[in-house]
Amino acid sequence: MKKSFTMLLTALLTLSFMLSACSGSNNSKTSSTDPAPAPSANANAEKNAETKEAPTEITIMLPLNTTEAPPDTIKNEVEKLTNTKLKYQFFPADSYEEKLNTSFATGSLPQVTYLKNQSTFVQMKEAIKDGQFWEVGPLLNEFPNLSKMKPEILDNTKVDGKLYTLYIGRPLARQGIIYRKDWADKLGLGAPANVDELFAMAKAFTEKDPDGNGIKDTTGIADRNELVYGAFKTVSSWFGTPNTWGTKDGQLQPEFTFQQYYDTMDFFKKLRDGGYMNQDFAATSKTDAVNMFTSGKAGLYIGGSMQDIDNLNKDLIKNVPDAVLDTHSMVAGPDGKFAQWMIPGYNNVVLFPKSAVKDEAELKKILAFFDKMMTPEVANLMYWGIEGTHYTVVEGKAKAGDDKELNEREVKGYKDSVIGESETNGMYEPYNTLPGRIHAEELILENVKVGVADPTAALDSATYTEKGVELQQIITDATYKYIYGQIDKAGFDKAVEDWKSRGGSKIIEEYNAAAK
Amino acid sequence: MVEDRSISGKIYAAINFTLLAIIALITVLPFVHVVAGSFTTSAELAANKFVLIPKVWSLDAYKFIFSTNTIFKAMGVSIGVTVIGTLFSMFITALMAYGLSRKDLDGRNIFNFLVVFTMLFNGGMIPTFLIVKELGLIDSYAALILPSAISAFNMIILKNFFQNIPEGLEESAKIDGCSDFGILFKIVLPLSMPAIATISLFYAVTYWNTYMSAILYLDDSAKWPIQVLLRQIVVLASGMDHSSTLDGTVPPPDQTIKMAVIVVATLPILMVYPYLQKHFAKGAMLGSMKG
Amino acid sequence: MQEVTAPSSAAPKFRPKRGKKTGDLKKRLWRNKWIYVMLLPGVLYFLIFKYAPMYGLIISFQDYKPYQGITGSEWVGLEHFKRLFTEPEFFTILKNTLILFALNLFIYFPVPIILALMLNELRGNFFKRIFQTMVYLPHFMSWVIIVSISFVMVTMDGGIINELLVYFGFNKINFLLSPGWFRPMYIFQVIWREAGWGTIIYLASIAAIDPGLYEAARMDGAGRLRQVWHITLPAIRGVIVTLFILKIGHVLDLGFEHVYLLLNSMNREVAEIIDTYVFTAGLRQGQFSYSTAIGFFKSIIGLIMVMLVNRISKKMGEEGVY
Repeated sequence: MKKSFTMLLTALLTLSFMLSACSGSNNSKTSSTDPAPAPSANANAEKNAETKEAPTEITIMLPLNTTEAPPDTIKNEVEKLTNTKLKYQFFPADSYEEKLNTSFATGSLPQVTYLKNQSTFVQMKEAIKDGQFWEVGPLLNEFPNLSKMKPEILDNTKVDGKLYTLYIGRPLARQGIIYRKDWADKLGLGAPANVDELFAMAKAFTEKDPDGNGIKDTTGIADRNELVYGAFKTVSSWFGTPNTWGTKDGQLQPEFTFQQYYDTMDFFKKLRDGGYMNQDFAATSKTDAVNMFTSGKAGLYIGGSMQDIDNLNKDLIKNVPDAVLDTHSMVAGPDGKFAQWMIPGYNNVVLFPKSAVKDEAELKKILAFFDKMMTPEVANLMYWGIEGTHYTVVEGKAKAGDDKELNEREVKGYKDSVIGESETNGMYEPYNTLPGRIHAEELILENVKVGVADPTAALDSATYTEKGVELQQIITDATYKYIYGQIDKAGFDKAVEDWKSRGGSKIIEEYNAAAK
Repeated sequence: MVEDRSISGKIYAAINFTLLAIIALITVLPFVHVVAGSFTTSAELAANKFVLIPKVWSLDAYKFIFSTNTIFKAMGVSIGVTVIGTLFSMFITALMAYGLSRKDLDGRNIFNFLVVFTMLFNGGMIPTFLIVKELGLIDSYAALILPSAISAFNMIILKNFFQNIPEGLEESAKIDGCSDFGILFKIVLPLSMPAIATISLFYAVTYWNTYMSAILYLDDSAKWPIQVLLRQIVVLASGMDHSSTLDGTVPPPDQTIKMAVIVVATLPILMVYPYLQKHFAKGAMLGSMKG
Repeated sequence: MQEVTAPSSAAPKFRPKRGKKTGDLKKRLWRNKWIYVMLLPGVLYFLIFKYAPMYGLIISFQDYKPYQGITGSEWVGLEHFKRLFTEPEFFTILKNTLILFALNLFIYFPVPIILALMLNELRGNFFKRIFQTMVYLPHFMSWVIIVSISFVMVTMDGGIINELLVYFGFNKINFLLSPGWFRPMYIFQVIWREAGWGTIIYLASIAAIDPGLYEAARMDGAGRLRQVWHITLPAIRGVIVTLFILKIGHVLDLGFEHVYLLLNSMNREVAEIIDTYVFTAGLRQGQFSYSTAIGFFKSIIGLIMVMLVNRISKKMGEEGVY
């Protein structure tokens, strides 16, 4: 009996020790690591009254798009420049939505919350309308640098006409073609001036043995399972399809009700039937498509950012040392006109939750940090790193240092968090050496001149928020099936009818109502 | 063991061996590919796709992942969480499994049903997060262990094994003056080594694979376990994330790095199994009975 | 060789049968007090981390908004369930889910058992351990890896399998984008990744068999196959039944990530299952209530199945899981 008692005691002790050890150690941790914005902010406010120097404590949550969270090297410098005490909470981009939703629902968002992309922004809109986040619009003109942000992009991010966010800017239209110039030269082809020449190029790259190895083992286009960021949407805009929504008979209508959308599908159907693009593109991931290209098996990469040429080139010349790449984007449609679809000018936004930012005074302090982020000094630091260590300035542009790993580790994590764009925050443009990349930068400016905006970018549709993704699936599936020859035009029309009857008609109504 | 020396016995053994060898080879191929891929260049991977023996050897991928101490730190976290978590989970699981294996226990069926019920119904991420938060576990390693301390599945399996132990043994121990705790620790556990080894392995692998709890409950990326790093690299390198954008500023990590991280993150947990295998040898139970 | 009695059936001599006399209840409870103490940590765990959060299921009946919380959100009754059942694709999705489950149950489920028996029949510990380790390796690779390796092997754009088919004069097969090949690919990958891992539990229960039984069987002149049939299989029957019942509970729950990675526009008609539908229709659109309602529906079906199978197995003289 005595034995069993000791045993039980040991067991319970162990258990309670484990439990207590866990909760004990972590209480102390919580108090030190918890965002605890309110007390610190208040403390700061008091301190500030006495000494001006006390740094603002800011906790920032943002998605991580690199292999690991960066060390504090850059952060420490930013803190010095901005008189802040920053706490960055990185979360893997892949699971960011789960983290965001859980934190939001439990009131644990930090003072500064980056979203992930435009679709997380769409999801958040309802909560924004409900007043869960601070409105920043009226405060912007108090900050000299923040007020430089582009008004047309700010308009795109407004919710019910009010501004709650700061945006992370992106060029409006970076998409185009990256192609094997050496193949084209060898076959006597110029950059495709129109969609017919593009088709001819894909065909020639497939059939005329451009790599000269005597085997028919090359493909024209390497595409992937993405209608928007793959080749399809870019080509569709060359065909004259509106950007997501267009005006027909004075009414907003979705792109897939336009004849040009059908023409684009026919174009891809012909490409695939002829074997001029990868047969499995509807199941091919980005990495696999890129692999086809960089292993020298495909000659055209369409729809991605033309700035990708550096990365593609780097891997391609390892396999094909004498390969030459170039970029191109001015492909005319059948009517001879140029057009490029444009993104709304941002790829992410920052929000300031009321649950963490207690009053306007605190909000202003945080905005002051972002105001400083929009100075060349801070923007360069966060985007390019420390001059001399991570980059050097050549001809007034930033040239990334040779130690790519150092850059990848220490700088890239912060890159995606810099608000504005180089025109507004004054950071350096990249210094490029690859001719194709220099060409790409020129084309990106050209693209905007014939850019087509999405007319619904700043509009709201409750039905779209609720079911848009699900409904879009119907159209995406039908588009692929059409290209693969499993349904014909009547079949596609049926899918569009399906889309309409399951909520699409309401989306059309709501957008048209909102547009007035 | 007496060897079966008959002709039919030999044919039987030969067929069995050949079949198993083929199966083992097929299953192991992807892993060979991953290991080979980690020792070559990204160019060769892109060109030859299914590399099994690299033509060009390269240690660049390993140099890259070991160039900072992040991966060691994450590995340390994972090992710590796995060891402590497995011990803790085994302890309370064994207690509960033994209790519920006792057929004379009143309310046993209700308890069992309530455990099975949790395998089917769960309240979701948000309420669980709130409980973890209320307990003050946010940002502590305990948040990786406590919320998943008992797997209902493992508990039921262990209970099942305990039930197979001849009750006569327990009874005689009881007559000898052993208490219930004494029976569990002196009779039941030593007799169940294959089961203990199995369930420990299950727990260890679960803890090693901890991912979502780390994302939800740890705000400090310095505390991340290895799986978070692993998944981040794999997802980035596979181009399979659901938010494809036009972003060209951040190139994905090399395929070779992805493979090297898989190798590094998998090896430690792989090494657990051969160590446990000795408990699966035939007669392991008999031996401990005599001892 | 007659029926071999399982090791567990040694008759209890001193333990009173449970529920024999109600008057004994207090006494029995007292005698087993330490057993209840043993249950305590586990019970606490399940109460705190499993039962306490279950109030979250309430949002299935609400139009839940994260910022309004459960107390502030509007009640909508069975609205979300109505939406699910009136979804035009609902029956296709349910059918797809059930077919994949059936494949899991009838094709995958026996594989680890057979593999474990085969491994057990190997003579010589060296190869046994080597093979065992080899077959359980794939379990440690995530679905992302398995699916991307499969892609490289079966793609029509230079995949090794299609290259071989062409080499031997066959036509290329569209594995990735045809509805017909989705299910075979799915179940093959499941077996590939999980079968070896699944053997562990059976090997452990085989290890617990008294070697004396085999000795006796050999004396009776039973061959190897007969020993497997009459000793090994009956001895692990309990584990098989338990695993079977637990598996049945996950009838509508098939591992989202794997299917999602294989899913594309061309095979959606057979590959869309409840879990992938929840992802597109619910989670990606922030429809928390709808997602939870679908989860609730899955749980109820699982519960019914478990209760049913558990009852049947008890009727057949097995222990069951509760």
